[in-house]
Amino acid sequence: MATTPNLNKLTLQDNIKPEEPFKKRTPLSYLGDAITWFLVIVMALIEFMPISWLFANSLRDPKTAYNLPPSFWPTDFQFQNYLTVINSPQIDFLLFFWNSIKITGLVTLGTLVTCSMAAFAFSRLKFPGSNALFFMFLATMMVPGTVTLIPTFIIISRVGLLDSHWALILPSLTSAFGIFLLRQQFKGLPEALMDAAKIDGAGFFRIFFTIMLPLIGPGLSALGIFTFLGSWNNFLGPLLYLRSWDNFTFPLAIVTLQGYMGTGNRAVVLAGIMISVAPVLLFFLLAQRFIIQGITLTGLKG
Amino acid sequence: MGAISSTSGVIHPKPRRWNYRNYETVAAYGFILPAILGVLIFVIGPILIAIFLVFMKYDILTPPEFVGFENIKAIFTDPRLKNSYLVTLRFVVTASILNNVIGFLLAVGVNRAMPGVLRYVLRTALFFPVLTTSASLAVVWTYLMAADRGVLNYLLGVIGLEAVPWLSNSAFAINSVVIYDVWRACGYMMVLYLAGLQAIPKDYIEAAMIDGANRLQIMRFITLPLLSPTAFFAVVTSIIGASQVFDNSWVLTRGGPNDATRLIALYIYEKGFKAFEMGYASTISITLLIILLGVTLFQFWFSKNWVHYE
Repeated sequence: MATTPNLNKLTLQDNIKPEEPFKKRTPLSYLGDAITWFLVIVMALIEFMPISWLFANSLRDPKTAYNLPPSFWPTDFQFQNYLTVINSPQIDFLLFFWNSIKITGLVTLGTLVTCSMAAFAFSRLKFPGSNALFFMFLATMMVPGTVTLIPTFIIISRVGLLDSHWALILPSLTSAFGIFLLRQQFKGLPEALMDAAKIDGAGFFRIFFTIMLPLIGPGLSALGIFTFLGSWNNFLGPLLYLRSWDNFTFPLAIVTLQGYMGTGNRAVVLAGIMISVAPVLLFFLLAQRFIIQGITLTGLKG
Repeated sequence: MGAISSTSGVIHPKPRRWNYRNYETVAAYGFILPAILGVLIFVIGPILIAIFLVFMKYDILTPPEFVGFENIKAIFTDPRLKNSYLVTLRFVVTASILNNVIGFLLAVGVNRAMPGVLRYVLRTALFFPVLTTSASLAVVWTYLMAADRGVLNYLLGVIGLEAVPWLSNSAFAINSVVIYDVWRACGYMMVLYLAGLQAIPKDYIEAAMIDGANRLQIMRFITLPLLSPTAFFAVVTSIIGASQVFDNSWVLTRGGPNDATRLIALYIYEKGFKAFEMGYASTISITLLIILLGVTLFQFWFSKNWVHYE
């Protein structure tokens, strides 16, 4: 698109100048505005209410967790549910947390490394077969994960990685989409940069690592955020591969906990969910700009 | 790229340039090697294995046994597979339409001048569900949608409506899975459409206003055509994504009641990992691949009719 260079700056926050007022404002246009506002606010409430309900009820005394009317705002501050979750002898939530962080961290790091390297080669180096290989990567982007589910499981079980975190890490260490995204970013950098570095005698790895990589920050952070969220929120993978409690990731533990606690102790399950949601919420409040910028970047480039 | 060879040609004598090219090739393959290994082992390899398994009976414990076209014949006579595809079709169509329409409307609604605090609050509220773990939040929704003492039914009661059997009625359950999906994903669509809206050059809109166009005309003749590439991307990705949804109905209903919410991903999971009919499950997954490829190619072909690139 013609506007590509400006995309990095697009967020919900920026670039919205007050709309040029229309010359004639009719009663109808005011009505339209009112309806739009009404819909946006109603949707915002619908989107927010389950989360505030979750928060409010995770703080309720387990005995009153089922009481109606439901509260959407914390009325009670019983942190005991959180303590129950954290101190529970059977379920080691801190361990699940650590498992999730470990897997997500390695997957994100691996994806950033492999994708940026491949993207650099595809955008900046000339080599025989580059078009064919790039086409191969593009084609694999079309393959839905559901299709490779069973064969991947067979491969993983054959090499004896069932019930191991490597079963979740290894298949996710690269992404064709990431290569595509970062390649676009590298292509946006001026050609002269690379020539200048070559004349100065820098090797390819040095050009890549110290000159090019720092310049594609927005692309890297977008890919990093998406990989992080995808891996952190992954449910099907852990469900397939992990067997022992000690290896469980957070989402798998929570869904299992729901069955395990039955309907008896809802407040505790909610506290567990809240613990898993909280880091993402914090992260979002801090990095909102980058996340939305990331979606903007990936969306328009796709 | 021409620039590179000419500069290196100026600096180095010819033989050196040939070496340099070799060196570049080796370096390039070094750079792409990790990604190639990943894709070969975990995408291309698995596809070949899946195709191989189409002709096999395999339960992972005993060696695969050649069965010819048995699996392919079976997909045409399996009533549960047919049901699963119908459920998936219904889910994909309704979820994609709702996500895109609501996402677009929200984007239009939010894309206007407003106080910074309000923007922050709206952005957080509308977008946050996208970031949460789908499986965990589905657990929350099973509580909200509980038939007995559930929050939604209570709220319906307050405004004088009858209770809805959200997850327990086989005719209604799929709607609940769609509702949950839209709740979680429409914020993502909003941000996509918002980015598209903000990329539309202001000059076009100003020019139209000077020519006396009203808001609806601007929307119809300027905004929508210029937004069509974004819409195309959003529709294609939401269809591919919705066709593979697993977490939602696994947590909300486990595919029930009576297979009413057994989306294709759940059926593949059940056949492959519960019944251990890996050959048959692979056959189903290959049909999904073919269908999705067909749908996506059709969308690209059909896009000529409605997508306008600047």
